[in-house]
Amino acid sequence: MVSWFLATPGRIYVLATLLPLAAFVLLFLGGLVRTTTRRYRRDSKTASYFYYMFGGDRPIRAGAYLVTFAIGTAAVLALIGLVQFLRDANVPDHTAAMLDERWAERTIWAQIGPIDPDSPAVRPAVKLEIGYRIDHLTAVLFAMVTIISTGIFFFSIGYMRDEAGGSVTDHEVMAPGHHDHGAEHHQGVHGHLVRRGRYGRFFLYLALFCFSMLNLLIADNLFQIFISWELVGVCSFFLIGFYYERASASTAANKAFIVNRIGDAGFVIGLAIIWTYFGTFNFQEIQAKLRCTPNDSDGTASPVDMVDTMVRGNRVPESPNKVMLTPKGKDILLFPAHWHAGWLNKGEVMARVPVERDSDFTTIPYLLLIVAGLGIFLGCVGKSAQFPLHTWLPDAMEGPTPVSALIHAATMVAAGVYLVGRAYPLFTPEVLLVIAYTGAFTLLLAATIALVQTDIKRVLAYSTVSQLGYMMLALGVGGWTPGLLHLITHAFFKALLFLAAGAVIFGLHHQQDLRKMGGLRAKMPITAYTMLIGVLAIVGTPFFSGWYSKDQIIGQALGFGLANPAHFALAIAPILAAALTGFYMFRLWLLAFTGPPRDAHTYEHAHESPWIMTVPLIVLAVFSVGIGWGPEFWKPDGSLVGQTLHKAEPASVELTFAKATHAAHENHLLAGGLAFGAALLGAGLAVWIYGLRKFDPETLRSRLAPVHTFLLMKWYFDELYDALFVVPTVKLAYFLGRFDKRTALPEDAEAADRRIDPSSIDGLLSALGLLMLAIGIRLRAVQSGLLRRYILVLVLTTVVMFVILTLLGSESERRMRG
Amino acid sequence: MSLPLVLFFIVAFTTGLSALAVVFSRNIVRAAVWLLFTLIGVSLTYFLLGAEFLGASQLIIYVGGTLVLVVFGVMLTAQGPFLQLKTRIAEWVIGGVLAVALFALLVKTSLELGKSAATTPTDPKNVTVGVLGSAFLNIKEASPAAPMTGYPAGQEAPPRTRMGYLLPFEIVSVHLLVVLIGAAYLARAKKRMPSPPAKGATP
Amino acid sequence: MTELTLTHFLILGAFLFTCGVLCIATKRNAIGILMGVELVLNAANVNFVALARFSPTFQLEGQIFALMVIVLAAGEAAVALAIILNFYNNHSTVDVDKAEDLKG
Repeated sequence: MVSWFLATPGRIYVLATLLPLAAFVLLFLGGLVRTTTRRYRRDSKTASYFYYMFGGDRPIRAGAYLVTFAIGTAAVLALIGLVQFLRDANVPDHTAAMLDERWAERTIWAQIGPIDPDSPAVRPAVKLEIGYRIDHLTAVLFAMVTIISTGIFFFSIGYMRDEAGGSVTDHEVMAPGHHDHGAEHHQGVHGHLVRRGRYGRFFLYLALFCFSMLNLLIADNLFQIFISWELVGVCSFFLIGFYYERASASTAANKAFIVNRIGDAGFVIGLAIIWTYFGTFNFQEIQAKLRCTPNDSDGTASPVDMVDTMVRGNRVPESPNKVMLTPKGKDILLFPAHWHAGWLNKGEVMARVPVERDSDFTTIPYLLLIVAGLGIFLGCVGKSAQFPLHTWLPDAMEGPTPVSALIHAATMVAAGVYLVGRAYPLFTPEVLLVIAYTGAFTLLLAATIALVQTDIKRVLAYSTVSQLGYMMLALGVGGWTPGLLHLITHAFFKALLFLAAGAVIFGLHHQQDLRKMGGLRAKMPITAYTMLIGVLAIVGTPFFSGWYSKDQIIGQALGFGLANPAHFALAIAPILAAALTGFYMFRLWLLAFTGPPRDAHTYEHAHESPWIMTVPLIVLAVFSVGIGWGPEFWKPDGSLVGQTLHKAEPASVELTFAKATHAAHENHLLAGGLAFGAALLGAGLAVWIYGLRKFDPETLRSRLAPVHTFLLMKWYFDELYDALFVVPTVKLAYFLGRFDKRTALPEDAEAADRRIDPSSIDGLLSALGLLMLAIGIRLRAVQSGLLRRYILVLVLTTVVMFVILTLLGSESERRMRG
Repeated sequence: MSLPLVLFFIVAFTTGLSALAVVFSRNIVRAAVWLLFTLIGVSLTYFLLGAEFLGASQLIIYVGGTLVLVVFGVMLTAQGPFLQLKTRIAEWVIGGVLAVALFALLVKTSLELGKSAATTPTDPKNVTVGVLGSAFLNIKEASPAAPMTGYPAGQEAPPRTRMGYLLPFEIVSVHLLVVLIGAAYLARAKKRMPSPPAKGATP
Repeated sequence: MTELTLTHFLILGAFLFTCGVLCIATKRNAIGILMGVELVLNAANVNFVALARFSPTFQLEGQIFALMVIVLAAGEAAVALAIILNFYNNHSTVDVDKAEDLKG
């Protein structure tokens, strides 16, 4: 058994990914047994035995423990894998190929076409693969996801205990007025809905989500990522709509899925372009095809000025087999699996196009590469809630808080950023610019909205959107490592913030409005101070984890702005946002935990959460501080995690952003100072207004009322989308539906039912069916049962056949005789 | 106008008329008798063709066996002395038309076949009882020699392989045994249902 | 027409065959149908023997075939009669028009 792991140590990650899936399957089967035996529990002894074994009328708690155990084990395995991998990778003479042998595997899942890539004149096989590839990025992210998930799972065991009862009253839903026959839901006190608890289902979905997310992280090809992409979207849908009887929750779930889907349409377009031109989905293969590798297939060194760059050229019209390499060509040269460096001189290169086998050069029009990059980025926009597909994330707060923490803060929304990082060699400088601007705009958009929100979870949701904008901006301006480092640090402190908010909500018996909180520091100290740590981290206080990543991002952005003065706005945006972040985060904390309690009733009943919920908070707080540390923790680039991530950086980053990175290095003190100053400014302002109460926010609100309303209404995006897309679609649907409705029925309903109305599509199809019926009835008369009639028919058939054969025979005879 | 031809015409006409009478007679017993005459006529045809053994066995088996069986059947299923089951005119017409068409086709094909080169008269003494018997006992040397058909024109046809017919002989014997048992079982004595009121049958 | 050729016998066979078919198609009595079947078989036999006589390669085989057919026809008549008797026992009539239980 152990030798299976030792042969390819990467399999430890496969095991860690499959553990949550196993937990999911077990829980699912248990639930299935329970549901099917529920109907017969009074009739049959076996059925009732199974029913009560799997929980009976109350949800079974063992499922939650099983899932938590599974994810905990996965976390342990992830850490072991991380250590192993780093040790393996640090050995000097382990080349990348050797590492791939031990930490990557793939297998063909479905294939059309020949297996041999050199078979002549046949297109190479199109194939879908399943595989995994572990590199520094994956290893670190995997450990992060599993650790945070474990913490959140422990938290949810306590948080969701309300759902563990046999009957749960949902105070936000009014029960239907009549008695349900299934007696599943019925009216409780004050007419509120009473239903069975759904404790197990929560962990079921979370287990599936964990599996999908981990699969996304270890995937080595775009298609597998797409599958996981959709799966996490589905799990998000289930979990947001967990309290599905609430109209707000089910609508929010729909919204999340639909908006995500719009992004996925772009993703699919990107996938299609990539498949068509590259013929493969594998990241390594795409990178090798797109960017000139340092050595050709024989090991000869490639021209130095072309290594890791995209080689542009034009097809020569006279001899379509050739590509003329020019820096401003319309096409990009795609390298084959086997190629010779000697072919890549300036000027012509022999390229056998269109591609006939794997060893041929081919080209992709530059425009289409941009489209592909934008398509994939659109998918990331949807998943990571960037502008314009950001509207779903705040509404997703309808789900339980652990869901918000795990999915909509730490992991799923990070998938978009992860994909941008993974597919980085695919993006042309234009696409990267678009990414940067999108990130910058989202950054400011969300930060301004968060300034005025009153729901504790909404503030955090917009904060998440804003921080994701930070990451996108970072990736767009060449800060690959800072962006992904921010992903990791953000995951920890955002999860911490959400869980702390959850603890607050739990302690206040599901009160989420900031205007009703205040002074909770005395009542729930652990929550308060862990949350403070999270706030300090997100603001970018030195030596907290957020500082290491944010500082670098701002530095890189400033460097980019200095290197390309036309895009200086990209340098200003993050600094501005840092100030805004400082302001609203401190506002959040101060409103909730300091000052006089605004609502006496809420304050009365507030209490600290049980230990099962506070311990994860403490653990996450420790991580929020320490994850960014390294051996030289006083340096902003001294983060150990950051240095690990740097090893996974694609070589093209350095090349494309050489000037910007250089400028960033030169001005890093300035950047750090600006960042710190901005954060201090924002935080100070918040403390002045909300902490020391030297200034009444009410006056500001009344004076800038239109601005306030604009921000409060989320820049009216929901209304805009409603008017632009939703209303026309619904109108069109009603219009088209009219084609299918029948004309007004006369008083005699029976005759009308029998009448076929071919003017409606429904009637047309019915007419077709009735026609078949009539033909069948007529044809039935052939089988009369009368022997003699059969004989006559037989003779008739024989005669006819004879005639035909004779005619045909004489025809052919005549033709043969000539 | 050779003798064989005259004889043939006499026999053929008799057979044909008897066959027509079988079809058109309404009384089933009468039809059985006309069938008798038809079968005798066919036997005479065999004699004309030089197949004496076959003619004889036709008389014995068909006339003396099958026809007696048919008459027995008629008697056992009698439904009254003058009961007739009539067919409607329309069915006669349709049947007649189809029969005429079928006959025309067959005649046309026969005429063409009769002109083809593969049909030359053979010596009836080639196939006598002895030869038939030997064939059934797998004694192949007694079979008449003849070239094989179906070879393209111009190619030399190899001499035919002598064949024995022991296997079909045995199979037919087993078959007869099976038929014996089967028929005996099917027609065993059972309780007879009471006769229904006479409906749909005209006296 | 001056010589007795194959055609004459074939036409005789054809006529017998047609009569047999007409007999099967028109008789309502089951025994009548059996008679028609006998006519058909005999017509085929006539064809066989005629071709045996008039075709060098078929001399022996034709007669053997015809013999087989005679034997098998006898067997078949026996079984057919048994079936008809069974039918008669069940329905008290031999009218085949009454045997329409397999009507669709």
